[in-house]
Amino acid sequence: MTEEIDVQLYLQKFQGKYPQGVEGDRQIRGDLPIPFIDTTDQDIRPSTLTDEQINSWLTYAAWNLWDFILGRASEGESGLIPRQEYETVSFVQQWSTYPRFVRILVDEIGVDGLLDLAKTSRREVGTKINVTRNWAASVCPILGRGIAVDLGFHDANSKREDLEELIQFGRRLQHGTWGDGPGFVSARGYQVPALDADVLASLVDQVRPLEGQSLKTFRRFNATTELFGFMLHYDCRAGMADTGPYRLPDGRFAIVRDHFLNETAYPWAGVAEGLPYAVSQVMVFPEDKVTATVNEIQTTFTRPTNYLDFLAEGVVFARQHMDTPMSQLRVLDDAEMTSIAEACHKGTLAMYRILARKPRDEKIRDGIMVYTREFLLSHASRVGLWDKFEAEGFDTLHENATRAWPVLTGGKAQEILTPVLLFGNGFPAVQADHAGGNRPA
Amino acid sequence: MSTETLVGTGINVFTSDTVAVGKIRFLDTPDEVLDFIEEPDVAETVVISRGGTTTFMSPALMAGVAGLITLQGAPESHLGILSREFSIPCVMSTTFTDGIQTGRGETIPADGSRVRLDISGDKGQVFLLED
Repeated sequence: MTEEIDVQLYLQKFQGKYPQGVEGDRQIRGDLPIPFIDTTDQDIRPSTLTDEQINSWLTYAAWNLWDFILGRASEGESGLIPRQEYETVSFVQQWSTYPRFVRILVDEIGVDGLLDLAKTSRREVGTKINVTRNWAASVCPILGRGIAVDLGFHDANSKREDLEELIQFGRRLQHGTWGDGPGFVSARGYQVPALDADVLASLVDQVRPLEGQSLKTFRRFNATTELFGFMLHYDCRAGMADTGPYRLPDGRFAIVRDHFLNETAYPWAGVAEGLPYAVSQVMVFPEDKVTATVNEIQTTFTRPTNYLDFLAEGVVFARQHMDTPMSQLRVLDDAEMTSIAEACHKGTLAMYRILARKPRDEKIRDGIMVYTREFLLSHASRVGLWDKFEAEGFDTLHENATRAWPVLTGGKAQEILTPVLLFGNGFPAVQADHAGGNRPA
Repeated sequence: MSTETLVGTGINVFTSDTVAVGKIRFLDTPDEVLDFIEEPDVAETVVISRGGTTTFMSPALMAGVAGLITLQGAPESHLGILSREFSIPCVMSTTFTDGIQTGRGETIPADGSRVRLDISGDKGQVFLLED
């Protein structure tokens, strides 16, 4: 970028103007030309969009990413897994390949089928067809578009059909989960009470008081399974997902937390042998002692921060396989929780030893597989399309990802990525006067 | 009589009255982490890592170190989230005013120095303990 910016100001406010959080959401939504981050039954259906619709969405997505990523911007290096490197190459890969696979999916099940698919997040736990993917399946590849533009692969008005496809894909998923209204979590007050009341009630009905040894067992289980989920998913948050807070009677609230322990899609899944596909924890807290928000990728943050000290009741369910019906969830007793925690402990160490020996480029390639599969695999599997996706080259590295690899994984990556991730450059607007760039919806 | 000197300040991940005291150990490579968890005094050690991602330190988290200090990262970082779940006191993006230099020129307390982590407020503080 050519113009000088005040970096400190841009780190405090998006583009020097919009703050983080609820107030930032209010301000930027107030400035959007049209409220296209809200979804309606009508406006999720067209496959072409106006410039005003696209640019409203892009403007909000740029703030949303800044808002979300600012707190972790200095996360720094891993020492084990080159995560930022594989994530950024993945964004380019997703931009290059997702539009084709999303079209295959939508052609197969239609818009209404997609809405029904997204309703899964209201009816089930232990599923990756969830709010994180509603966001990631569109925002991440569209961020890849911004990187591709920044790297000079094409200009902002090229591949407009792909941009429209991905914006509408994300909006349709959001609409399936939430119905009319805003689809981004940041526009919903950082609350993710996705489960329908009857589903939630069937889970909460089985909580039990947690004290003494049962509390210790629960907390060790929570920590160990969460860590294993991170490890299995190459240090990304695809292995966990919280919903809530759900307000309950008698001044309590619940957080429902999925940890995905046995994703068989990956070559290293042997470290998870014998574990259930997912475990789902219901955790109940007194609302006069602690309050909670949940972010765009379904992670809970609380006030005060030591929320587990207030954990009062809980229960854990296991979903044995990805396709195990909700009616066949089973409650884990303390003995099985201890056994699963022990297996996760061993699995984490086994995975660590494997990763400690793997070459860096191989880990980047593995990470791209994880990050590219994670946002579409569960959707495609549910409707019987995953084998077709694989046969059509879903995992094949696109030439643009190959071109971007040395730049995004080398010493100058930060120079490129900081403006893209934090200064709004990741979501360049389309231009009305560009040939072919302005079509009616 | 022992004295305490404030040598480091960072972002506290979760508040607690827990007293985290231990000897410093800077872990810079996966092999160092794997060797460390086999040692007998893991629970009496406060480890330092450079980054705020969780997988690098996962063996140390599971082994139950006394505390964690990072030179980068924030409570929203993966290591922040996981230290909270493991209830291991954690101070992130810590800046030290006194200590030795790492190979990259970062200032940190020397291995074996005894420190206390104060995680009672939003800021995390690292105190050097000397007899």
